[in-house]
Amino acid sequence: MSAAPLLELRDVRRRYSVGSGLFAPRRTLTAVAGVSLTLGAGEALGLVGESGCGKSTLARLVLGLEAPSEGEVLVAGRPIAALHRLERSRLVQPVFQDPYSSLNPRRSIAEIVGQPLAVHGIGTPAERRDQVEEMLGLVGLAPRHAEALPAQLSGGQRQRVAIARALVLRPALVVCDEPTSALDVSVQAQILNLLLDLRDRLNLSYLFISHNLAVVQMLAGRVAVMYLGRVVEEGAARQVLTEPTHPYTRALLASVLTPDPTLGLPAMRLGTTFPDPLNIPPGCAFNPRCPFAFDRCQVEPPALVPREGGTLAACHLAAEAPTAAM
Amino acid sequence: MSDALLEVTGLSVDIPTEAGVLHAVRDVSLSVRRGETLCVVGESGCGKSLTSLAIMGLLPPTAQRRAQRIVLAGEDLQAAPARRLRALRGDRMAMVFQDPMTCLNPAWTIGNQLEEIFTRHGKGNRRAAHDRAVALLERVGIANAAGRLSQYPHQLSGGLRQRVMIAMALMCSPDLVLADEPTTALDATIQLGILQLLAELQAEMHMGLMLVTHDLGVVARIADRVAVMYAGEVVEEGPARTVFTTPRHPYTRGLIDCIPQPDRMAPGQRLGTIPGMVPSLVGDVQGCAFRTRCAFARPECAATVAPRHGPDAHMWRCVLPPETLDRAA
Repeated sequence: MSAAPLLELRDVRRRYSVGSGLFAPRRTLTAVAGVSLTLGAGEALGLVGESGCGKSTLARLVLGLEAPSEGEVLVAGRPIAALHRLERSRLVQPVFQDPYSSLNPRRSIAEIVGQPLAVHGIGTPAERRDQVEEMLGLVGLAPRHAEALPAQLSGGQRQRVAIARALVLRPALVVCDEPTSALDVSVQAQILNLLLDLRDRLNLSYLFISHNLAVVQMLAGRVAVMYLGRVVEEGAARQVLTEPTHPYTRALLASVLTPDPTLGLPAMRLGTTFPDPLNIPPGCAFNPRCPFAFDRCQVEPPALVPREGGTLAACHLAAEAPTAAM
Repeated sequence: MSDALLEVTGLSVDIPTEAGVLHAVRDVSLSVRRGETLCVVGESGCGKSLTSLAIMGLLPPTAQRRAQRIVLAGEDLQAAPARRLRALRGDRMAMVFQDPMTCLNPAWTIGNQLEEIFTRHGKGNRRAAHDRAVALLERVGIANAAGRLSQYPHQLSGGLRQRVMIAMALMCSPDLVLADEPTTALDATIQLGILQLLAELQAEMHMGLMLVTHDLGVVARIADRVAVMYAGEVVEEGPARTVFTTPRHPYTRGLIDCIPQPDRMAPGQRLGTIPGMVPSLVGDVQGCAFRTRCAFARPECAATVAPRHGPDAHMWRCVLPPETLDRAA
C-alpha cells in the first residue's frame, strides 16, 4: 500500500442534540451523516452545498475543533484526535468566511500573523519578524500594513491577513470555509488568484468549501457535492461540472449566474422546500425537491456508486436513466 | 421613450467627516420606467446604496442631499413635506433591504409587520390586510402562509425572511421597488429563486424595479438597463446587452472579467482583477476617479471627463476611443 493520504474521512458522522423549547423534548440534528472522503498531498478538494448541508461541520471535524460522533478523521494516516493540539495546528490550518470577526481587533497585523510562530516557539523574535514580513509579502500586503489594526484594512486585505496567519506555520492542508463569500466579486477574484498562486508556490492542499460551484471549480481538482449531511456526487471537477449526474448538482450548476445577457434567468424547479437537518426526509434526502423523484426515492436511500466517467453519484435515477434532461 | 416612473437628475450626497466632506454620490442621473428593471452595480463604497436611500429620503441625518430633480410618477419628492413622503414610502415606493435578519422587527410576528403597512396606508381594515398578507406570502412561495403569519422572524430561514421582506414591499402594490442587494446574503440556489420571483412579480404588477448589486452575473440575467457606479459616479449606463457586449469603460470590463465562468475557463486559469483600491472621496475629486487603477490611463484623464454617447442610449465617461475595449469574439 502506498503512503497514507494527507486527509482521510472514514464514514464520519456528527450528531447534535438540540433543545427546541423549554419543555419540548431534545431532538437529534444529524449534521454529517456518513461521509467518506480522501485528499492527497498537493490536491484540492472542493466541497459544495447549501447552508445547512453540513459542510462547515465537516470543516470543524477536519480541523479537530470537534470530534465525530462516529467514524474517523485521519490526517497523514493518524487519527486527528490522537494528535497534540500543536502538532495538529502545524498540519491543518483554517481560513474562515468572515475576515471581520476572525481577526482580533486589538492586535496589529504583525502580531496576528506572528502569533502562531510565538505559540509554537519557532525562532527568535527577530526571526519571527522576518518570517511575518515575508508572509505578508507572499499574500500581497505591503510592509506598512504590519503595524495596522484589522479595522484599518479593507475586507480583501483582512482576508489576506487571515491567509497569511494560516500559512505562516507552513501547514500541509488549508481548510478554506467560504473564504470569499463575504467579499465583493472584484475582491473575490483577487483572493482566488492568490490562493492559486500560493498553492503553486508552497505546494499546499486545500479543502475548499463554498456554496458557489463556479468558485469551487477555480481551485479544486475534485469536487464533492453535499446534501443534508451526505455526499451525493463526487468526482473530477471537470467531469462533475460538465456532465453532472445528480439532479441536485445540476440545480447547483444552473444557479451559477455567468455574465451573459442573452441567457436570462435559468429555470430551476427545486421548489421552495428548504432542507432541514432536523427533519431529514426518508429515502433520498433530496426527494421533496427533486423534479424527477419517483416512488423508490421516498423509501430507499440511494448508495454512492461509481458512474461512467469515474464519478460517484447517489441517485436511483442515475442508475436507471443516466442522462435525463433537466 | 417618455413617461419615466422615477427620474433622478444630478443627485449628490455629501457626508461631512472629520477629514473633510465625503462626496459619496456625485452628480448621478437615473431613470426607471414602469415594467423596467434598472440594475445599479459597483463595488462596496461606490455609493450605490446611498443613491437608493437618497431616493427614498432615508439618508442618515448628517448626510446632505442635493439634486436637480427627484421625481416619482410626476411628483417632486424634494418638494414633498415629510408627511407626504411617509405616505409615499411603503405605498407608492418600497424598499427591500440586503439583510433580512436585521430588517424585520424581532419582537413582532411577521403577520403584524405585513398587516401594519396595509392598514397604516389606509388600504383597508385588518381583515383585508390579513387576506392580502396571506395571498402575498403564497405568491412569494411560502407554504402554509396563514400559519406563518403568527411566527416571529427568528423562526424563519434567511431565504424565507427575504421572501417575507419582498411580500412586505408589495403589500400596497407600489409603482417602484428599490431592492438593495436582496440576494447577497443567500445561497446560490436561493438567490436564483428570489431573482425569479422578483422578475415574475415585476412583470405581473408592471412595477419599476431598481436593483442594487455588486454581482454582474445577476445583472446580466435580470436587467433591462444597467448603471455602473464607481466612486459615487455613474461611469457607464445603457441597455444590459449593449453594456455587456461592448463595454466602453475599463471599469465595466474589469468587473465582467472578475466573474468565474465554469464553462469558459481552463483549470488553474486566473481571473481578471482590478488592481488597487477605491480612492478616497474626501475633498475635491478631479477628473476620472478610476484613473489610478486603470491600465489605459493617460494624461487627459486628470481633467473632467464629459459623458460620451453611443447608439441605444449608451453613455460612458471615458476618454478612450470606443473600440479600445472590444475583443475578438
